[in-house]
Amino acid sequence: MNRNLLRLAAALAGAAAVALPAFAGAYPLQVARNVIMYMALAITWDMLLRSGQISFGIAGLFGIGAYAAVLGVLRAGMSPWLSIAFAAAFAGAASFLIGFLILRLRTMYFSIVTLALAEIFRIVIHNLPEFTGGPEGVVLEGVIMKGSASGLYWLTLGGLAVALAASWGFEKSRMHFALTAIRNNETSAKSSGIDIFRWLLVAFVVTSSIQGLLGGIYVQSYGFATPDSVFDANFTLLPLAMALLGGIHSTIGPVLGAILLGLAAEWLKLRIPYGHLVVYGIIIIVVILFMPKGLYGLARKVSGAADRRRA
Amino acid sequence: MAMKRRTTILVVLGLAAAFLVALWKPTVLIYGVQQAGLYAAIAIPMGLVLGIVHIVNLAHGEFMMVAAYATYFACRATGLDPLLAVLPSAAVTALLGWVVYKLTIRRALKAPELNQLILTFGIGILLSQGVNLLFTSQTRKISLEYVSASMTIGELSFGVWPFVFVIVATAMAVGLKLFLTRTTTGKAALAVGQNPRGAAIVGIDVDRTYGLVFALAMALVGGMGALFLTRSAIFPGVGGPFTMKSFCLVAMAGIGNIPGILGASLLLGLSESFLRAFRELRGWADIIFFVLIIVVILGRSLKGRKS
Amino acid sequence: MKRTFAILVIAMLATGAFAQTGDTIKIGGIWTLADITGKQGSMAAQQAIEEINKAGGVLGRKLELIVVDDEGKADKGAAAVEKLMTVDNVELLMGGMASGVELGKIPTFKKYGKVVVSTGAASYKVEEALGADSSWYFHLHPWDYNQGASYVEGWDAIQKQYPKIKIKKIFLAYEEGAFGKSSWDATKTLFGTGGRYVVDGASFKSAALGGGDYASVLEAAKSFKPDLFLWAGYDADALPMLEQAKAMKFSPSIYLGAPPGWPIGFGTSKLSEKVMLYGMWAPTMNDTNAASKAFYKGFVAKYKEEPATYFAPLSYSAVYIIADAIKLAGTTETAALIKALEATKYASPLGETISFSKSNIIAHQGIRRQKILQWQSGRQEVIWPFEAKTATPVYPFPAWK
Repeated sequence: MNRNLLRLAAALAGAAAVALPAFAGAYPLQVARNVIMYMALAITWDMLLRSGQISFGIAGLFGIGAYAAVLGVLRAGMSPWLSIAFAAAFAGAASFLIGFLILRLRTMYFSIVTLALAEIFRIVIHNLPEFTGGPEGVVLEGVIMKGSASGLYWLTLGGLAVALAASWGFEKSRMHFALTAIRNNETSAKSSGIDIFRWLLVAFVVTSSIQGLLGGIYVQSYGFATPDSVFDANFTLLPLAMALLGGIHSTIGPVLGAILLGLAAEWLKLRIPYGHLVVYGIIIIVVILFMPKGLYGLARKVSGAADRRRA
Repeated sequence: MAMKRRTTILVVLGLAAAFLVALWKPTVLIYGVQQAGLYAAIAIPMGLVLGIVHIVNLAHGEFMMVAAYATYFACRATGLDPLLAVLPSAAVTALLGWVVYKLTIRRALKAPELNQLILTFGIGILLSQGVNLLFTSQTRKISLEYVSASMTIGELSFGVWPFVFVIVATAMAVGLKLFLTRTTTGKAALAVGQNPRGAAIVGIDVDRTYGLVFALAMALVGGMGALFLTRSAIFPGVGGPFTMKSFCLVAMAGIGNIPGILGASLLLGLSESFLRAFRELRGWADIIFFVLIIVVILGRSLKGRKS
Repeated sequence: MKRTFAILVIAMLATGAFAQTGDTIKIGGIWTLADITGKQGSMAAQQAIEEINKAGGVLGRKLELIVVDDEGKADKGAAAVEKLMTVDNVELLMGGMASGVELGKIPTFKKYGKVVVSTGAASYKVEEALGADSSWYFHLHPWDYNQGASYVEGWDAIQKQYPKIKIKKIFLAYEEGAFGKSSWDATKTLFGTGGRYVVDGASFKSAALGGGDYASVLEAAKSFKPDLFLWAGYDADALPMLEQAKAMKFSPSIYLGAPPGWPIGFGTSKLSEKVMLYGMWAPTMNDTNAASKAFYKGFVAKYKEEPATYFAPLSYSAVYIIADAIKLAGTTETAALIKALEATKYASPLGETISFSKSNIIAHQGIRRQKILQWQSGRQEVIWPFEAKTATPVYPFPAWK
């Protein structure tokens, strides 16, 4: 019963998201696009986190995806659509190679190395001006789909759909069992026959490709890339904060967190032009202190209590 | 044991590199060491917090920034030299650190470590944006005669003031080592760091120790804030980049290995300075930092697996 | 605690909310409000709006400025444009500072094709992204190559006017980001051609971006022995670099900085004496320019602080240019407004009369010249262009004692 209700709610929310351009103006659509972009990143970050591996490299993979797409168009004559696919493939291939090197690392050491790799990508792009445009970046001739507001919105929503599908796929398959086992107790996971490295590699490559894909979508929607804009540390920190505030180890958590933080940031900015970021910081502190398991955790606790009361 | 060997290796590597470089271009050595001193002096307090309280304080650099601002305004009002403010600034920042610990961090200690990360990230935003709101993003600096103190050897003239950071970093490392091994409080802190549950069983007040260590680390950061003001201009975002650098240096040295931070900083400072000496390579100087981190961490994990 | 917080929020709401009045002409302004340039730019624009309204408004209507923060991010910038265009229904847009943010807004600008009076974005990449048919885009700030060309012009003129100033070798220390890199590209090509100057340069990491060690770049400069040393970085670099230069006994005949703004109290430092700078405006211009004086007095009276960078008078000028154009056009309809803006002749507080003409790609470029100034006794004195001059240059830069 409860599960069917949830499914219905999800289907309705999905339908509403797809139909949004029919009844929302250009501004809400643009805000929704921004929120969706971070939401998708937050989901991919959480997917890898389900194995216990904390990545700080989202911005790095997003950034190389972005540059793969831009340079694919400018240097290899790809069409914008192809370049987005190429962005995903490139980030996936890069993460496959990197994965061999770093997926044996654990805890903070894995995090630091992903952070360092992201910085290395940025510095490389920065220092090859003939090929990448250097610090000043590169400009595309135009925006994909001639900048149609609904078109760009659906494109970003498509990126989110890929992330959601992958995340649900992870939840419903053996992947879920494997990642949870690795997170809870690696030794016993190993002894029960789980090939830890292989599962981690799959999770890493899948999440990285989606991050690259999103980078590709991002640059095609704005028509330019500079190292400062696509390797912005916010592409790492905000998805992380969103996932945590929404509730980790789930698909719905990052979704809720992205809506909360994304809309709060936009609303605050209009209400308090000077100083809204101070309030933003306070929100993060308060939520993490009083809802340590995030919104989803709180909701589960509340509904659990209600269930008990009913019983 | 392994930690000691790691330290030795880092120190020997650093010294060997230093010697080779000095033969070739003495300025590379001088500036490299000076830069290393600054890195280490800021990273060591973070190493202390990470080693004992086990939290990554993403507001680390912001605490230093706040201390530097407090020093700036105190010195502006009284006309005193920032150097005289090192101790008062340390005291004020320690108090701030203690309050922040009691109000926020303490409540998040039982939560997963990621929560602490985001909590301190939020504190960092609050501090830097709060300062921005109050004092704008315009930079401030107190102009001081002695920071241009110069030394000339033959053709070569260089500034000597930044060596103060080398002295401070060394003093911090030695002082903390003594504190942690010779004093009762320090020993208790070390025990809590290694095994909080065990320490609680033998009657050590873990919460109090955490608060104390956090406040101590913030005191060091606060003192550094005053000192930092002598060398650099300050603005709300000035601390942020140092958080990441410190975090990386601490990881490179290995958690709980405070003298190792000196070695890691030296290696880093010298390599950066070395790359900058080549005109075509100077844009790449930043990369060395991250490559070194990866190499050190990967190397350690490989070695760990063999043994 | 809770109450203080509530009061704080209400206070911020009160200062932030702009009065909604019925029949106003709405102008949308987009700046990065956490940055001093954007903060004071928006404040100066608001000051101009109030001055114009006090004098009776435009076409019998009052002007209204609606400010939205772009947070220094491309996607937030695009959202800001959408909000102003569709929710507030503004007639035209103004603002802008960082090129990386402006690039994010351009697709949305193009979608609406309404007039944009831009106060920032110096990178030629922005012009590239705009393309030739962006007749609605009025770019007030000089492009990077305009600035470079104006410096060549300026130094040629200064050497002619003051024969004892002789420049052959130029060294540029540039921060490694987009700002520094474009300064370097412009300097290299514009000063390097023709053989009159020998140019060299090296990059450094600005303190604004986590760097702040200038030893290696100063060393490279010192061994080049330049007649003119200039650095393109941020205000955070100004004093530390001077202090380090002094420690290294590096004292070129001309020491010149080109940051977008200077640190608070830079002029009170002994080291600042005779340092030269590139800029667009300085409070000293109040002595020679009535518009500058009016702007400055108004700003200080209204906000109890000094305008810290030229972005304040630039945004102030933008509002007056817009108001004049609406008056001339008699409407806010875009085609008529573009026509009217093309006829702009505004005697600005920046010491020059602003009008628009074609640049490399776009049709409407405003200011092309920067100024060459010098710190003398704690004040920024204009030494070139001569028509805006407030003092004669002191040369050479004092060798370190």
